[in-house]
Amino acid sequence: MEYQSASGIERRLIYDRSDVPDSWWDLLRSGAGEAPFIRGAYPEMYRSKPWRIFQLSGFGSPEDMNARLKFLLKAGETGIIVKHDRMTDDHLYDVDHPEVAERREDVGLTGTVTVGLRDYQTIMDGIPIESVYAKPGGGVPQSAPYTQSSYWSVALSRGLKLSQIAGTGQSDFFLTYLGCPCKEQIPPDAALRFNLDIIEFCNEHMPKWVPVSIAGYNGADSGLNAPQELAAVLSTAVEYLDGIQARGRLTPADFAHQIGGVNFRVSMDFFEEIAKLRVARKMWHDLLLNRYGISDPKASRMRIHVVTAGSAMTYQEPLNNIVRGTVMALASALGGTQSLGVSGYDEALSIPSDHAHLMSIRIQQVLQEETGLTSVVDPLGGSFYIESLCNDLEKRAWEVFDEIQGQGGFVATVQNGWLRGRASDEQTAQAKRFEENDLKLVGVNAHLVDDPIMHVDGFEGRSGDVTWAQAMERLTALRRERHTTATLTALRELEGVCRGGGNIVPAVMGAVQADASIGEIGQVFRDAFGVWNVSENEFGV
Amino acid sequence: MSNLYEFRAKVLIAKTSLDGHWRGVSLVARALRDGGFEVILGGMLRPSQIAQVARDEDVDLVGLNVGGRIEVVYRIIDELKVVGLGGVPVFCGGTVPPGAATKLRDLGVDVYPPGTTLAAIAEAAHRLTSGN
Repeated sequence: MEYQSASGIERRLIYDRSDVPDSWWDLLRSGAGEAPFIRGAYPEMYRSKPWRIFQLSGFGSPEDMNARLKFLLKAGETGIIVKHDRMTDDHLYDVDHPEVAERREDVGLTGTVTVGLRDYQTIMDGIPIESVYAKPGGGVPQSAPYTQSSYWSVALSRGLKLSQIAGTGQSDFFLTYLGCPCKEQIPPDAALRFNLDIIEFCNEHMPKWVPVSIAGYNGADSGLNAPQELAAVLSTAVEYLDGIQARGRLTPADFAHQIGGVNFRVSMDFFEEIAKLRVARKMWHDLLLNRYGISDPKASRMRIHVVTAGSAMTYQEPLNNIVRGTVMALASALGGTQSLGVSGYDEALSIPSDHAHLMSIRIQQVLQEETGLTSVVDPLGGSFYIESLCNDLEKRAWEVFDEIQGQGGFVATVQNGWLRGRASDEQTAQAKRFEENDLKLVGVNAHLVDDPIMHVDGFEGRSGDVTWAQAMERLTALRRERHTTATLTALRELEGVCRGGGNIVPAVMGAVQADASIGEIGQVFRDAFGVWNVSENEFGV
Repeated sequence: MSNLYEFRAKVLIAKTSLDGHWRGVSLVARALRDGGFEVILGGMLRPSQIAQVARDEDVDLVGLNVGGRIEVVYRIIDELKVVGLGGVPVFCGGTVPPGAATKLRDLGVDVYPPGTTLAAIAEAAHRLTSGN
């Protein structure tokens, strides 16, 4: 039997001081909250601020979404995430688009369905925007301006100022072009423009907003191993840093802190994942210092959001996933995450039921309040094994980083298929291990019982037919009741900004506030930028 | 086992939904190709388009990755009947909850949920296309 980590680092029987170079021990003289932040982003870590309990959530109508958010907040969630229907939101299709209408039963299954700004008013009804931390949607770059503008517009309509609103965007390349590519997405270069526009807009108006959050999760759950995930996340950041710098209005020192809120996946390789989070902070610090000359701790302190691996959740004996979720949550905390979402135990069956959602919150609350975990900073710091892993991971990750930069950077490796190839190779290798029974999954290919007794059925949400029909009614009403001239004027202005120059965010906000529908905004983008060609051959076949 | 003289069955692999999850699809498609099938990749075709491609390509089996509700699978089965392919076997994988899987199996549609080995899926494809 071979002993190695998920990314292939040899595991020795036992580690000692000599397994960690002196240069690494020297780095550990710096405490938490001090460069290079290996031991934590903040001096007191969870004593002064426990990690944020931040669960992905969304299904059905805007009313369903609103009810689920209130349920999660009541249960103790400390931030809210609005997940939108992938068919309508990620594609920017109206519900009467043929791609949607022919699959109408799916509407509202992957998130809540909105037709325009007024649905966002419903989603946020009774939820205090001034005090809540929110991720209002926008997983893919083309939907990010729409969803965020909608959320911000609701806040403005309540008399809040943009500068008061706290939360995060996403606009993630991994989701869009690697892990979960859908139809008719704007091409990566246009997506990069969108993200740079959002960063510049937030730099000027929204000090409490994380404009984009690079989501290593979607790279890792598509196959990328730990060094690849680290390298790809940092390479995405380089695109933003260099791209904004090239525009000439801001220097990296002005905005680097805005993109230092990133996301990683934590899966079941307990120690490697802990090491990954610790070394991520060091690499971010080193990148800013060595490449951009930035040493301001406000910028070089990476803040991490973790989502536990959905791919680790099994269809068989789903209650075992509560244990897996707990293990991954523990690793995330030991790695020093700032916020955490634990995948539902029914992840392999469906979107989370209210019960599964509650369990994901309870796992985190039990860890925070019943174990003493939060009272000591970086409790594994100095472990020979952990520090050795950090040192190894860092070396491997910089090698991958150089390989990406050598091809022209992150977007180039998305466009030339290299990143997809790496993910596919890792997926195939993992599948082979499962196939050969080398990868053990309890209750799936190990320790099976004759009569499975864990009966869990997936959450089906509201009937898609009903959700779709209701959305059709709202869309009809929107088109009937709005000031059409104002809507068309706003859409023309948006088109002008898309084709010409200028920041896209105010133009999208103008269209949203003029009651443009999601599909109308999408059509402007498709006409102006064209769409990325999702060649089926890029999916590893 | 296949040999040079044997008929090479054609399988259409498509997603029923626009959820974008490709990991399982690409693994299954590759396993079937390696298992001797001619694999047609239908990507994210709509239900009516899936049926048209199945007819135009004269496929022997339709494999569906379900990322949404099974009512869309029903619709695809109906569309296959419309184009005269009511007799072509259909099998499914993806996030099909147990209750939904039972309904599909009652219709004669095999369901292979997450956790199924690729070998078992290839074996099922051989069985479904050999008429045994």
